[in-house]
Amino acid sequence: MLYSMAQTALAQSRTVKGKVTVKTGGEELVGATVIVEGTNIATITDASGNYSIEVQPEATLVASFIGMIAQKVQVGNQSEINFQLEETADNLSEVVIVGYGVQKKSVVTGAISSVKASDLETMPINRLEEALQGRTSGLTIAANSGQPGSAATVRVRGVTTLNNNNPLWVVDGVVVDNGGIGYLNQSDIESIEVLKDAASQAIYGARAAAGVILVTTKKGKAGGIRINYNGYVGTQAPARRLDLLDATQYATIRNEAAVAAGQNPVYANPGALGKGTDWQSLIFNNKAKRQNHELSISGGSERSTFYLSLGYLDQEGIVASDISKYKRTSLRLNSEHKLAKWLTFGQNLGYSHDKSVGLGNTNSEFGGPLSSAINLDPITPAVVTDPAIAGAAPYTNKGVQRDANGNPYGISSAVGQEMSNPLAYIQTRLGNYSWSDNIVGNAYLMAEPIKGLQLKSTLGSKLAFWGNESFTPISWLNAASVTSQTNFNRTNNRRLDYNLENTVSYTKAFGLHNVNVLLGQGAYLDNNTTMTSVTFFNVPATNFDDASLNFKVPADQRNSDGSEGARHTVSSLFARLNYDYNEKYLLQALVRRDGSSRFGANHKYGIFPSFSLGWVLTKEDFFPSTNAVNFLKLRGGYGVVGNDGIGDFAFLSTIGSGRNYTIGNSGSYIIGYSPNAPANPDLKWEQTSQTNIGFDATLFQNVNLTFEWFKKATKDILQNPRIPGYVGAISNPAANIADMENTGIELELGYRKQFGGVDFLVNGNVSYIENKVTNLGNGVEYLSGGASFQGAPPITRTQVGQAIGSFFGYVNQGIFQTQEEVDSHIAANGNKIQPNAKPGDFRWADLSGDGVINETDRTFIGNPTPKWSYGITVNAAYKGFDLVVFGQGVAGNDIFQGLRRLDIANANWQSDALGRWTGPGSSTEYPRIVNGDPNKNFQNPSSFYLEKGDFFRMKTLQLGYSLPAAVISKVALKKARVYVMSQNLFTITKYTGYDPEIGGNVLSIDKGIYPQARSFMVGLNIGF
Amino acid sequence: MKIRYNKIATVLALTAGLQLMSCSDSFLDVKPRGLNLESNYYRNQEEAYNGLVAVYDVVGWQGSGYVTTIATMNAASDDHYAGGGGPSDIMDFQVMSNYTLNPTTGPHAELWRKGFSGVFRANSILEKLPGVPMDENLKKRYTAEAKFLRGYFYFELVRLFKNVPLFTKTVSTQEMYDVVQAPPAEIYAQIEKDLAEAMPDLPVTVNAATEGGRVGQGAGHAILGKVYLYQQKYTQAAQELALMNGTPGGTNAYGYKLLPNFADLWKSDNKFNSESILEISYTNTSAGTWDCVSCTEGNIMNIITGPRGYNRKSDAAPDYVSGWSFLPVTPSLFEAIRHDPRSKATVANLDSLEKAGLVTYEKGYMNTGYFLEKFAGRVSNRWTGAGTPELNFPQNMYDTRLADTYLLEAEALVRGAGDINRATALLSAVRARVGLKPVAATFENIKKERRLELAGEGHRWMDLVRWGDAPTVLASKGFVAGKHEILPIPLLEMENTKIEQSKEWGGTK
Repeated sequence: MLYSMAQTALAQSRTVKGKVTVKTGGEELVGATVIVEGTNIATITDASGNYSIEVQPEATLVASFIGMIAQKVQVGNQSEINFQLEETADNLSEVVIVGYGVQKKSVVTGAISSVKASDLETMPINRLEEALQGRTSGLTIAANSGQPGSAATVRVRGVTTLNNNNPLWVVDGVVVDNGGIGYLNQSDIESIEVLKDAASQAIYGARAAAGVILVTTKKGKAGGIRINYNGYVGTQAPARRLDLLDATQYATIRNEAAVAAGQNPVYANPGALGKGTDWQSLIFNNKAKRQNHELSISGGSERSTFYLSLGYLDQEGIVASDISKYKRTSLRLNSEHKLAKWLTFGQNLGYSHDKSVGLGNTNSEFGGPLSSAINLDPITPAVVTDPAIAGAAPYTNKGVQRDANGNPYGISSAVGQEMSNPLAYIQTRLGNYSWSDNIVGNAYLMAEPIKGLQLKSTLGSKLAFWGNESFTPISWLNAASVTSQTNFNRTNNRRLDYNLENTVSYTKAFGLHNVNVLLGQGAYLDNNTTMTSVTFFNVPATNFDDASLNFKVPADQRNSDGSEGARHTVSSLFARLNYDYNEKYLLQALVRRDGSSRFGANHKYGIFPSFSLGWVLTKEDFFPSTNAVNFLKLRGGYGVVGNDGIGDFAFLSTIGSGRNYTIGNSGSYIIGYSPNAPANPDLKWEQTSQTNIGFDATLFQNVNLTFEWFKKATKDILQNPRIPGYVGAISNPAANIADMENTGIELELGYRKQFGGVDFLVNGNVSYIENKVTNLGNGVEYLSGGASFQGAPPITRTQVGQAIGSFFGYVNQGIFQTQEEVDSHIAANGNKIQPNAKPGDFRWADLSGDGVINETDRTFIGNPTPKWSYGITVNAAYKGFDLVVFGQGVAGNDIFQGLRRLDIANANWQSDALGRWTGPGSSTEYPRIVNGDPNKNFQNPSSFYLEKGDFFRMKTLQLGYSLPAAVISKVALKKARVYVMSQNLFTITKYTGYDPEIGGNVLSIDKGIYPQARSFMVGLNIGF
Repeated sequence: MKIRYNKIATVLALTAGLQLMSCSDSFLDVKPRGLNLESNYYRNQEEAYNGLVAVYDVVGWQGSGYVTTIATMNAASDDHYAGGGGPSDIMDFQVMSNYTLNPTTGPHAELWRKGFSGVFRANSILEKLPGVPMDENLKKRYTAEAKFLRGYFYFELVRLFKNVPLFTKTVSTQEMYDVVQAPPAEIYAQIEKDLAEAMPDLPVTVNAATEGGRVGQGAGHAILGKVYLYQQKYTQAAQELALMNGTPGGTNAYGYKLLPNFADLWKSDNKFNSESILEISYTNTSAGTWDCVSCTEGNIMNIITGPRGYNRKSDAAPDYVSGWSFLPVTPSLFEAIRHDPRSKATVANLDSLEKAGLVTYEKGYMNTGYFLEKFAGRVSNRWTGAGTPELNFPQNMYDTRLADTYLLEAEALVRGAGDINRATALLSAVRARVGLKPVAATFENIKKERRLELAGEGHRWMDLVRWGDAPTVLASKGFVAGKHEILPIPLLEMENTKIEQSKEWGGTK
């Protein structure tokens, strides 16, 4: 961070040597600065923490290190001075990455949250999003599924737009697309900064509205070579199973449902069916393996530093592990070189290869192992061993899957469609995988021709290759899932993004006035993508390993596809002014002008200004100097940022193809073309303005407090307003239409204290956010669509005055216990509202008052987006032992649990069905079960399906022991630590599904989500 | 000083980048690749033809939810139930079949979209054609075809919805919310005008091999005749249809003639045969997949009507594919047709096949044991090339065939007090083809004949409504007189617009 040159002192100086270590634990500090106070004579410690400096006897030496309290020692006649630095309780001396530069936290005026490498060390984090979850305020993060390698949904200060809400990820200055950050190895991360308010974000202009996340990777430090290894291995298991009906219970309820509908019972003797098949136990793996290894070598001299690392991650999924696993190998080289005193060259380069085997539907009611295990009847056996049955239909069909003994996997006669025996389903997907190679890096040249003036030119680039390989064998899973011809598909994609940025910055102090000016220019191109895909049908193979495109099937058995992405370019100019007076009065003003290829001809460039102010009260003379408030900074800011994630060429009227028709007898068809939608040359960015007010405080020396209040208003949200169908266009023209608002508060709290030998550190954060849609366009009251639930109308609705995508459905007012209650549910005109209902059916609220129950009787019944997110980390260290407890949770949302397929009348039920209504007084919550569901008790989406989504999860619990320095130094080790840890040890929630953490474009819709695993791991961390 | 020069050189190099990049507006001007813009399309005859093909595409419209006009009309009629796997399988068919449809749920949204997509595409190409540099005769033919198709789509719209807005050009975004519905008479007048204007420029005959599926004058007269008939203009209808039909049983002026063998009509390799006037054309070569059901050029009718879980135990059994058991034939139709020579080619009797021990099959929702033989997919017809076999059946369907226009003319003559001898000859020709004796050309006999001859081809429901028989015949299915004669205006069409719901559906129009 701070490059201080050792300079040769004059006069009668002499050499002082010594070591700089950490007071607690005695770890040697590499790269600590030792400076002669009041001069610019300085040096930095080497790989063993040693330094050597020429000083004069009257001098005072100051040793400092980021995150440590600087220590001063008078030289006098000493020739050896050892420093033992204490870690600071306050984090104000830390620096924060702010985009094109760094700032001391004590003078930051925006709302920026940070996660540092020290918070993440040896944590079981596979993807970067997890590093942020619960560790910073202002973020809502939910894993999209528990499938290894699966991404998470990240929202910075809530949902900013109706469109793309993914934040802008910037890794070492390179913009990386949202889905693409999985290539990063967490142990390579030096810090992650989240720019939360517009005043901070505006430096990223037209792409910043959904938040900006800056990732900085590690650099080498001068002073010898350091080698660090960290690895852990462990095992994972599902934390919870659903309680589903067994065969006897299932048959009993089906009989009841049939009789209630006037049909004959289906099963003569349910009791004889016993427990039946437990499909869940067949797909869950209680011993799924997981391992992670990271090796890094770093170091350098004062002229050159490097950081080299290698990472390996291998994780099995807990569901159908044969078709659910993930591997990643990563490599990183970062280096920096002083070509001259005033000229620096540096580069960062990361490469990763991953291979992902996915089971397909990770949160879908339309098939896949989880959905099938939930819906399949427990009567069908997993494997059919009776030869009489195995030799008859449907087991005689070609493609019926068999186990190793040649016995067919059971095929349900009761439950069909996409629900197939998961064991058979697994057989049809064995070997299929997707892969990616990512190369992300940059190179920069930095010149400081005169003191304070810095010129920097950076070229950044991301090159990604990805694709998949899949073979589909001939299979007969059930009558509806038949594949009668094999096919082998290979898809390859390539994408190149690059950017060029040039900045000039000048820093100068005029007395107590400190000024920094930054001017910059950038050009960005992304989504230079090509895709090719080829499928060969009737490949003569029976499994993936034997399948190959070398089988030259006839031309009419081949299907090929290809495409190119629409390039997206941005051209930018930006400027920033930072001013402070004695670090007491602070000001930042910045502006960015972005042009984007996505904007219409009439609005090619957008200008995004912001400013923020700060006032450090504790620096004022009038501020009482007590021990209670050591530091207090008030700050506030306002800014405007944009979102150009509005689709490519949306402003043009395009002609689409695919409107084909078969003409003539030859069997070939003609490609038809017609206009898609009318043009809109006025199309421009979505604009988000945000006011942020907050303070940072240090109390009693050891409590850090940060508070934020914000109001964020987004306008001109791009909508493709549904134009009336009678217009006849195939798609709807885009226009800047809707507005929404988010208001919230955030609190971050840190506490550090030594209790005797125990070093104790607590960090907590909590965020609250409220979202409201304020305008959807002229006359548009709400937007239909959003989340679906099988055949029902959409279950979420975005309406003015409500939170985005709120749950929308029927209101059930309990259950009719008697016919009298049915008959007394009457409309204003005296007519029965539900004339055909029977006791045991839901009493639906007739909200429209028209005397019938239909779509107009739906209303807002819940909110899928958590209002509260929080996290807490407790670190404790005693002698060689250390403990990390990290928990995280959300509150204030509802989850829609739609696990059962309604169109499959015979699908299994969860055991709450045992508490169904069976007679007056038997239940007030679970209605009767009857074939055909005439009252739509289940078919009408209602509050019946909603549950509270609040949860607290013990995300990580880690206990470590470091061998004493005295012991390990004998074997040339600098560090040796062993640890045990658990991830997702427990989750406190009232939610009854697999997992309350459900990411995705619409959060909190559970259709059988692949749950997060609970893992136990042991690890080793050694440093040389 | 040397260092100083290096510094200056480096600083200059760094700032050079700035200047290079900042003056490049063209950097933001990204060319859409593989994407045609409306502003520069329709440059030649080929692109005009592609625009015309997009209009024809709508004739074969299949929605992503499997909704087609023919399947919907079948589900609504007394000849079929919705069927399928369960009471909510393809809900659009279920609610049509049991008359529980309402403005939000049902097939009408898809059929509305179909009709107006056709109108929009026809209007688009009609607006562009005058400016396309191409052969003028060809341009006249394209114009005639687009006008015919616009009339054809409006004919379906006005019959299904009655109250629809009228567009003879594409509507701009500025005007689109101000559109109001036109009186049905105005719509019919425009249809008549479009068909009449199209007629002279349509070809007398269409080359089946290379142009099969495109319309000629025969189709023009046939559809115009129907349009008159639906307006109860019996004399004009009979005249127009007679132009088409010519001598009953013989080959007419446009080369049309009844096929000698009724069953041959349902053979996939017998496309654009001499009986086919307007054919809905499909193919198995488009490699359609589940990713986009509405994109396939294959006929989905074949898979949806196939018997569910069909398991052939003997080679003597027909080679049906295992389908989704939609549109099972009602006992009512079965009873009506079982002793008719057309029975075997119309109804797939799975009930008797199973009783004979030749097959097993899954009893789907509202199973009757009888399926639609005309369309139930065959293994021999099942595509084995690229794509999903279920979505790539090549069988065509008839919008209008000669037996239909014979019977329509007979109806027009009988109801319009026209030439009863010609009516008898027309009716007899249809019966004679399947070996049935002539019967008197009464309205009742014509009704019976239409039901049996055209069963499963999507005509029955329209016939019942036209005849005024729907309330009685369909009462048991839930048909309510004065309401279900038309489909409701889709709810979304009335949001933010001036479109009003029809009176039949509790509206004001």
